[in-house]
Amino acid sequence: MTALLEIREMRKSYGAIRAVDGVSFAVDAGEVIGIIGPNGSGKTTLFNSILGQIRPSSGRVALEGEDVTGCSPLELSRRGIGRTFQSLQVFAGLSVRDNLIAAAQEREGGMLRRLFAPPDAGLGHAADAMIERFRLGHVAKLPAGSLSYGQQKLVDIAMAFMPKPRLVLLDEPCAGVNPGLVEQLLELLRELNATQGGSFIVIEHNMDFVMRLCPRIICMVEGRVLAEGAPAAIRANPAVLEAYLGN
Amino acid sequence: MSRRNHLLLLGGLAAFALLPLALKNYGVYLTTLWCSYLIAAFGLNLIVGYAGQMSLGQAAFFGIGAYAGALLMKVGLGFWLSLPLAAGICFAIGFALGFPALRVQHHYLAFATLGFNLLVYLFLRNEEWLTGGTFGLSAIPRPSLFGHALEGGLEFFYLTYATTILLALILALLLRSPWGRAFACLRDNPIRAESLGIDITRYTLLAFAIGAAFAGIGGLYFAALVQYLEPGSFNIQTSLMLLLMVIVGGAGRFFGPVLGAIIVILLPEWLRFAQNWYLAIFGFAIVALMVWLPGGLLSLPERLRAAAQR
Repeated sequence: MTALLEIREMRKSYGAIRAVDGVSFAVDAGEVIGIIGPNGSGKTTLFNSILGQIRPSSGRVALEGEDVTGCSPLELSRRGIGRTFQSLQVFAGLSVRDNLIAAAQEREGGMLRRLFAPPDAGLGHAADAMIERFRLGHVAKLPAGSLSYGQQKLVDIAMAFMPKPRLVLLDEPCAGVNPGLVEQLLELLRELNATQGGSFIVIEHNMDFVMRLCPRIICMVEGRVLAEGAPAAIRANPAVLEAYLGN
Repeated sequence: MSRRNHLLLLGGLAAFALLPLALKNYGVYLTTLWCSYLIAAFGLNLIVGYAGQMSLGQAAFFGIGAYAGALLMKVGLGFWLSLPLAAGICFAIGFALGFPALRVQHHYLAFATLGFNLLVYLFLRNEEWLTGGTFGLSAIPRPSLFGHALEGGLEFFYLTYATTILLALILALLLRSPWGRAFACLRDNPIRAESLGIDITRYTLLAFAIGAAFAGIGGLYFAALVQYLEPGSFNIQTSLMLLLMVIVGGAGRFFGPVLGAIIVILLPEWLRFAQNWYLAIFGFAIVALMVWLPGGLLSLPERLRAAAQR
């Protein structure tokens, strides 16, 4: 069976610095993979190379066997790959509900059809369902920019799931989020994986979160894959411990 | 919009329709002028306030619409045929001007559009064979409707007023549609927008094109109002004035340009009693406004409400 996403020998150099240095792995449909590693180990650069935000120096990205290396973020989004960013990325001036509708309104139909579509682009129900799922009902009509950091983070993540993507790349979903919300996020992501059936790749520093969410974890150090395996194996791996905690 | 706001809006529209009946010729002329600039300012608000792009070149489209429409009428096409053609020409040129906006942003884009305005101004001034150069174009006819020539100032005001309302309605519908939401995404966060499949290239070009078409229509009504065109009406100063209308009223607020146009067009008239001082007073008022109300006059109620809660 062809993997949903296959990364082969991905490299990205900035001058003499090899930010990503020959990373290969594959993601199957429905799979949840965690990527861990110290700061500067190339995790976000890897994401940006996969997603067309930056051009990789070499290597290939294949989506269901089809080469999508160097495709623009727009093209990849149309092929069903979603993402969140390390920093908050919402449409601050739009209401929470409009943020969610905006996230999915370009998924199908031509420009002209969208011009004459109803204001909610036929996505009102889907947006309301997502709002309920993320417990954002009390702030649905407020501008996203006026919410607290944690709430904006939820909006940000909900947006990535609105177009029902086949694969979502989440860059540090727990960064700056309080412990209660981390639990809520864990539940939400498990639920979305179960109901929507999409695959996730999650970059995260919160070890407890990654270990509980992801059946398979990749540990990156200095642009390379140091170890790959189940949470228990990663936790017991001396090289991983050394990379994280120092000798 | 609430019921109360609907009634307020209808009341305001009716009051403005009755206003010219109480005015002398010059007053009617000014209100018509206000409408023609307002159409262009509505278009600029789409570009600047909603789609988050910068433009110091809106007067160029105002001028292209005015000259193109006037020249088309001179070769025998009627007003009602020249109007969509002038708007179409502006749409196409606006679309093309959107391309620099894909490469540069903010003040760099301001200078790119300013350069475009200068280019158009020089074209209007120097290509005498077509535009009459500094001699200008004169004897531009007023339109007629159902065989009735709208020669009188009051008649032409009502036509311009009706057109302004119609175009405002079209703009409101556009902003309510998914396109309007996409324009706002472009303004708030283009990188996220692209990762969600929003084609920022197309929407940027469309914002400029639609905004330019509005300016073109406003320009043609301006031409039919003054009946004499000269390049000086479409220089950078006019672009700055249009931008001022949008910002003073409140960029990204639908009725911002309405209020902004009142201030920018009418305040200098009211300040005539101050004679030579009027420009200084006007300038000071604008500086004060930008310092204390950077969101424009329409942000005042929100500011007051926020202050009351504190």
